[in-house]
Amino acid sequence: MKYLSEYRDPALARALVRRIRHTASRPWVLMEVCGGQTHTIVKQGLDQVLDGAVELIHGPGCPVCVTPLEQIDRALAIASRPEVIFCSFGDMLRVPGSECDLLQIRARGGQIRVVYSPLDAVEIARSTPDREVVFFAVGFETTAPANAMAVWRAHQLGLTNFSLLVSHVTVPPAMTALLDSPDNRVQGFLAAGHVCTVMGWTEYEPIAARYRVPIVVTGFEPLDLLEGIAMAVTQLEEGRAEVENQYVRAVRREGTILARQQVEEVFQLVDRKWRGIGTIPQSGLGLRPEFALFDAERRFGVLDLRQEESSECRAGDVLRGRLKPAQCPAFGTRCTPERPLGAPMVSSEGACAAYYQFGRLRQTAGAGA
Amino acid sequence: MCLGIPGRIVSMRDDAGLAMGMVDFGGIRREVCLAYVADQVQPDDYVVVHVGFAISKVDEDEARRTFEALRNMSQLDELEWMAEVANRSLETMKSAEP
Amino acid sequence: MGAATLGATLSCALPLGPGDRIQLGHGSGGKLSAALLKHCFLPHLGNPTLAQLGDGAVVSVEAGEIVVSTDSFVVSPLVFPGGDIGSLAVHGSLNDLAMMGAEPRWLTAGFIIEEGLLLAELTRIVQSMGDAARAAGVPVITGDTKVVERGKGDGLFINTTGIGVRYSRARPAPDRARPGDAVLVSGPIGRHGMAIMAARGSLGFEGALESDSACLWPMVRGLVDLLGEELHVLRDPTRGGVASALNEIAAASGVGVVLQDGLLPIPEAVNAACEMLGLDPLYVANEGMFVAFCPHALAAEALRTLRAHPLGEQAAVVGRVVADHPGFVVLETALGTQRVVDLLPGDQLPRIC
Repeated sequence: MKYLSEYRDPALARALVRRIRHTASRPWVLMEVCGGQTHTIVKQGLDQVLDGAVELIHGPGCPVCVTPLEQIDRALAIASRPEVIFCSFGDMLRVPGSECDLLQIRARGGQIRVVYSPLDAVEIARSTPDREVVFFAVGFETTAPANAMAVWRAHQLGLTNFSLLVSHVTVPPAMTALLDSPDNRVQGFLAAGHVCTVMGWTEYEPIAARYRVPIVVTGFEPLDLLEGIAMAVTQLEEGRAEVENQYVRAVRREGTILARQQVEEVFQLVDRKWRGIGTIPQSGLGLRPEFALFDAERRFGVLDLRQEESSECRAGDVLRGRLKPAQCPAFGTRCTPERPLGAPMVSSEGACAAYYQFGRLRQTAGAGA
Repeated sequence: MCLGIPGRIVSMRDDAGLAMGMVDFGGIRREVCLAYVADQVQPDDYVVVHVGFAISKVDEDEARRTFEALRNMSQLDELEWMAEVANRSLETMKSAEP
Repeated sequence: MGAATLGATLSCALPLGPGDRIQLGHGSGGKLSAALLKHCFLPHLGNPTLAQLGDGAVVSVEAGEIVVSTDSFVVSPLVFPGGDIGSLAVHGSLNDLAMMGAEPRWLTAGFIIEEGLLLAELTRIVQSMGDAARAAGVPVITGDTKVVERGKGDGLFINTTGIGVRYSRARPAPDRARPGDAVLVSGPIGRHGMAIMAARGSLGFEGALESDSACLWPMVRGLVDLLGEELHVLRDPTRGGVASALNEIAAASGVGVVLQDGLLPIPEAVNAACEMLGLDPLYVANEGMFVAFCPHALAAEALRTLRAHPLGEQAAVVGRVVADHPGFVVLETALGTQRVVDLLPGDQLPRIC
């Protein structure tokens, strides 16, 4: 596939690895924020080939993983209602709430539909006027324009049976929260390429300046990540702390203006609770009052749910990069994708799931593979 | 965050005020909302698509330029690396001599 | 037997128009059933044995072991690019026999039809079954039809049982993989699962995705003729894809399997669809290819044999069996790193975010 497959070239990858090793005078600590990047890193073993030169810490880049338990429970409660057709992206289906998950609700008769695009949910609402159609709007800034357009389109079509259950989070506040934390070890960041495709990178310039950390906007293929890492390491070696763009084929400094405008029109910044981390002020998106009609939380009034987090789950530490999944005592034993204690083990963007699926052999490999 | 895949715009149309297009991804085609890039694109352009929306136009010139730079770096690096390996082998052989 | 309703006995049994739908009476053994047999099943599946319409069919074999395999088919939608539930049902059971190293000889077919299914659709599917069976040279010798009330069945379910005879001394089995074996695939992967996903329509994909549903026996026979007992394992990776099949074999044989990234043949359209949904082609169902294990020294010849067949043009060696990490399937990336290719807990979920 053009503009995708070329960025997997193994010879170029090896050259970049050599370049990074050659440049790094000591082991630097970098964090990639985005779950899609974590996935590529663990799947291709990029952290293995860079061992000793760069330590990669996986950040809270999985919007599914950071969606609070009460929001999952809200989703499950709404999905259980007989008049509701509950639409979501596929990777929400097995995320466990306090008692069950969407797959189990479907088995009990709940109407759950996996959609590829939020516009598909609008279309379902349009064609089934006697049903309430709810879309689980989970994501970072990348998905906000799509969800904004869905609301806008529903508004334009005069639909009265469509709503969003919103769980949108934004990246920059999470980065500063991590950087403010006293035990932070991260020295440079790989910024999420598709978040920046939409938003541009202007928000990261003050962060780089204030905290003196290089931030490189990076793509998702192996060459993108290696190039981004190379750029970050070069900055660190040269004592620079700037925002640079590796993902030039998709990202411009101002982002995609029309998308940002649409998001501004439909959403506003709100405080959001990040599962495993806590509330980060102004770190989420909520529907503006004029679009309250499309807010599922208000429509269905499911508030005040009792939550029970597993006391054993270390998702918070994993999401903050304090703990590698394999270091968690429950990893692979009491916590597996079949019986997850927390979201990072279920969501395919979650660090725990990535380690479990691809990286388990590293633990057993020591025994003489 | 999230899956954004590059695809080629095959055709464009207006769906009651919403700019839509048929985009080709290596042989698979899907309808994509082009509202956010409509002012920048035309058929045969490449766009990055996320959940059925084009979130930006692929800058093919930039892509070509930086990929070339990468290839040049790699070739240079390969030569340096080969030279390094050759030197190391030479030293190993020398130190093995009586 | 299905419920015989008053309506069924009063309806006109002949002729059946294409706009007609299956009624409960078609499963009741009366006139409607007879008409259905006569006008829908026999014309397309017909052969001397089936035409006798006995309670059972009598067959005889020369000396040797008889191999029997049964499979039920519940695919939705019923018709998709590259096939339908009928051709799938034929190929599926034939291939199960082939994977045992058995030459398919006969098929049975049982149909559970939902009241209201369009007769034209049923006829088309039965015709497709007939075509597939004839192409494979394997007759459907006995069958059964039931009709269930509207809402109690997803249009149509089919069960087929394949009966075959062990062909030569080859005894391929999942527990016979040995360190030093080569892992081969007979063709490209991921086609069937992605074709079904696209055909379901909800994801909005168009174009270029076709099921690979096909009878594998001719390719298998070539391999068996060549390798005999040195054909250690055969497996057609249906649900769960190549990854699941290899995991089962690794576990059964107590060996490790190492796959080489980049060697698996994956059609561009399958790759593209998987990219868009965040799926891994290794886990996508196949219906027209198989994996084979044989000693490494014989791999080149095995490959040549496979590639001589039209369905085997893209056959490839994709990995090897090792004594390390028994029970684990591992993939070597182009960078030289390794990652585990694990069994998935459930259905692969399209990854969007």
